[in-house]
Amino acid sequence: MRRWLPLAAAALAALALGLAVGPAGLTPAQVGSALAGGGDSAAQAIVRELRLPRVLLAFLVGGSLAVTGATLQAVVRNPLADPYLLGLSGGAGLGAVGAIALGIGGAWSVPVAAMVGALLAIALVYRVALVAGGQLDARVLLLAGVVVGAFAASLMGAVMALSPAPEVRNALLWLLGSFDGASWRALSVFGVYALVPLTLLYSMARPLDLLALGEEPARFLGADVERTKRILYLGASALTAAAVSVSGIIGFVGLVIPHAIRIVWGHLHRELLPGAFLLGGTLMVVADAVARTAFAPLELPVGVVTALIGVPVFVWLVRRWAS
Amino acid sequence: MALEAPARRIVSLSPATTELLFALGAGDRVVGRTRWCADPAAVRDVASVGDGLDPNVEIIVSLRPDLVVFYHSAMNDAAIARLGELGIATASVKLDRLTDLARAARLLGALTGRGAAADSLVRELDAGLQEVAAVGAGPSVLILVWDNPPIVIGGASFLSEIVTLAGARNAFGDLDRPSATVSIEAVAARDPDVVLATDGKSEPAWARRPEWRVVGAVAAGRYATVSGTEFSYPSFRAPAAVARLRAALEGRQR
Amino acid sequence: MGELIFEARAARFRYPTAAVDALRDITLEVRLGELVALVGPNGSGKTTLARLLLGVVEPDSGEVLAAGRPAARWDRRGLARLVGVVAQREEPVFPLKVHQAVLLGRYPHLGPLGTPSRDDRAAVESAMQRCDVAHLRDRWVGTLSGGEWQRVRVARALAQAPRALVLDEATASLDVRHEMEVLELVAALVRDEGLAALVVTHHVNLAARFADRIVVMDRGAARAQGAPAEVITREVLERVFGWPVALSQWRDVPQFVPLRKGETEDEDHS
Repeated sequence: MRRWLPLAAAALAALALGLAVGPAGLTPAQVGSALAGGGDSAAQAIVRELRLPRVLLAFLVGGSLAVTGATLQAVVRNPLADPYLLGLSGGAGLGAVGAIALGIGGAWSVPVAAMVGALLAIALVYRVALVAGGQLDARVLLLAGVVVGAFAASLMGAVMALSPAPEVRNALLWLLGSFDGASWRALSVFGVYALVPLTLLYSMARPLDLLALGEEPARFLGADVERTKRILYLGASALTAAAVSVSGIIGFVGLVIPHAIRIVWGHLHRELLPGAFLLGGTLMVVADAVARTAFAPLELPVGVVTALIGVPVFVWLVRRWAS
Repeated sequence: MALEAPARRIVSLSPATTELLFALGAGDRVVGRTRWCADPAAVRDVASVGDGLDPNVEIIVSLRPDLVVFYHSAMNDAAIARLGELGIATASVKLDRLTDLARAARLLGALTGRGAAADSLVRELDAGLQEVAAVGAGPSVLILVWDNPPIVIGGASFLSEIVTLAGARNAFGDLDRPSATVSIEAVAARDPDVVLATDGKSEPAWARRPEWRVVGAVAAGRYATVSGTEFSYPSFRAPAAVARLRAALEGRQR
Repeated sequence: MGELIFEARAARFRYPTAAVDALRDITLEVRLGELVALVGPNGSGKTTLARLLLGVVEPDSGEVLAAGRPAARWDRRGLARLVGVVAQREEPVFPLKVHQAVLLGRYPHLGPLGTPSRDDRAAVESAMQRCDVAHLRDRWVGTLSGGEWQRVRVARALAQAPRALVLDEATASLDVRHEMEVLELVAALVRDEGLAALVVTHHVNLAARFADRIVVMDRGAARAQGAPAEVITREVLERVFGWPVALSQWRDVPQFVPLRKGETEDEDHS
């Protein structure tokens, strides 16, 4: 049990940091009193209606992306797999751009359209990867994901070139990833939705361990390989699609965080998945805090910060692994 | 690039320069315009060449221009170079602020032999702006052009200048750039008095999202609306724009 | 005689796109307490036969049973509690500690919550001891030598508490010492704990020395089956492997020597 303490402490520290900083320049004392219900109403509104749902959403999304990254790396047996290799980021982008180009109004039109686009991409990749015999071939999955993603991205480019709406270019900015739109409603929708795939993936921790050995060893150790692959792929994809629709495309978390946990704890998913969730959430909250305060009032896309943090961490990990 | 004689066939690649050419009295020489050009009404008879940024060189060349006027942007470098190779004169015009109008007018006036018209336009603009300019601290205005992520107009934009001339204050006027991506929290922290919409709609669509309620002006429904292309790019109609904006801001208060 | 673990009766199998049968009229038995070796040239069907017995593929005709039930009908977890399989190669892609790798062998026994019990941990410990890898327990598997990793995988198979072991060319890439260590370990398990072992191998001579019975495969058929002394003969080997051989003895076990060009069998072996 002791091994969880540093991670839990880091997570709490990150959440506190996320609440304490921001372009509004509130002091920790003001933040504290706003949380408790006192202080002036503007500070209260900022802390309770903006910052609190925002850091919680960032934590949930970061944790979810880390979990799906770990899952996919085991399913396709490739340490470089990343949630976005499934092609769904292209689908989400196409959905978002399509919604803007068609002028579909409504506050939720872009996230919903992104979700629909992502799910369509997932279905397409899944269909392509089902080779004769109904088996889900992991290598074909990867290739199909790349191809479908590229196809969707090029369609997106076509829409942007042909659309008469100049706002379409702004869809690109949305895609770069941001937690700025976080609200209690978005948080609760995502939170409830994410519970299902997260629980499902955690319940498959043992089959994941086995699948990571290879399909034959997994089968001989008692895993139902085909069913396991199917469930894991669909569960991880559904979760990633939701993360993308709520916050755009934020890279590196799904790729790097699982390795950071593995290098310390090894590869058993009963510990890897929750560990990755905590660490991924922590990283995302810190990245988001940096994104909105480093150049306040300007806001950086979160994906830029996760890459800036993720790349040196990745290099350090690789060196440690090699030694 | 220098021309030996005033340009006779001009392709104009931004709505601002198109309108400017017409204002200079050279509108009959404009043989090509972008799909976004809408003012004055006469441009509709002019052939469209599509987008003005990174334009289609072939279509431009097919109109046999002797001058192509670009909006100043790195995206146009390739097209400018290409036209240069083909021996067609180009001009790259920076038009982000009202203060750029004078220089732009004089440049295009020289290229079209309408220098006198240019001078007169500039004088009219200065006089007109002085007339409508208001003094005194007015309300702070939020000019938001996109909501997700929030993109605001900064101080280096003609819209910001129009707001200032109307006696108000751009809430993000301290940012020395035409636009910037910020966060809802930053907007809430600056607590603007009024939200300005330039699309003619009385309430922006994004205002219905719950997280925007943190901004006082949104929660209280303090919106002002204007519409018209004089709010889309710098033009010599700026004095009228200033007056309409001021009326919109004051009208709100009643 | 020990209980029948694997049984094939007139089994025939052809791969879906193949022109000829991979296995023809195979009848064989593997019982508890015996080590059966499966030898033959490449393409003779050794590995296919192992997969057939393990229920990975189903016979086109005839029967294949594991512990009395059709092999392909076994549920995977049940079969994993019955048989431990060690393949020739397994590349670890992700970091695992040795004790974690061996623990994976207990998965067919874990309950729905998947928490290893004290018994599970004891089984892991015992498996590591018997395979002489307990001292490596905290090493990362990626840092092990080929032989050590092989022994860890044997330990993993043992942790399954199986009644049978199937080694599919498991020692093909090991050096002499490690190969002997693994085979000695398997032979000891068969002798002392009454396991059944099916060893698919290229090394006919070693098979002769360790196996109770040998099955010689030739183009999908079982050319000969029986004790090593009966099966390892010049006629069988020359027909199956297509190469002239000479036979000698080592402690009552026939060993063969492939002849070089120009050598004949009648030359003195001194």
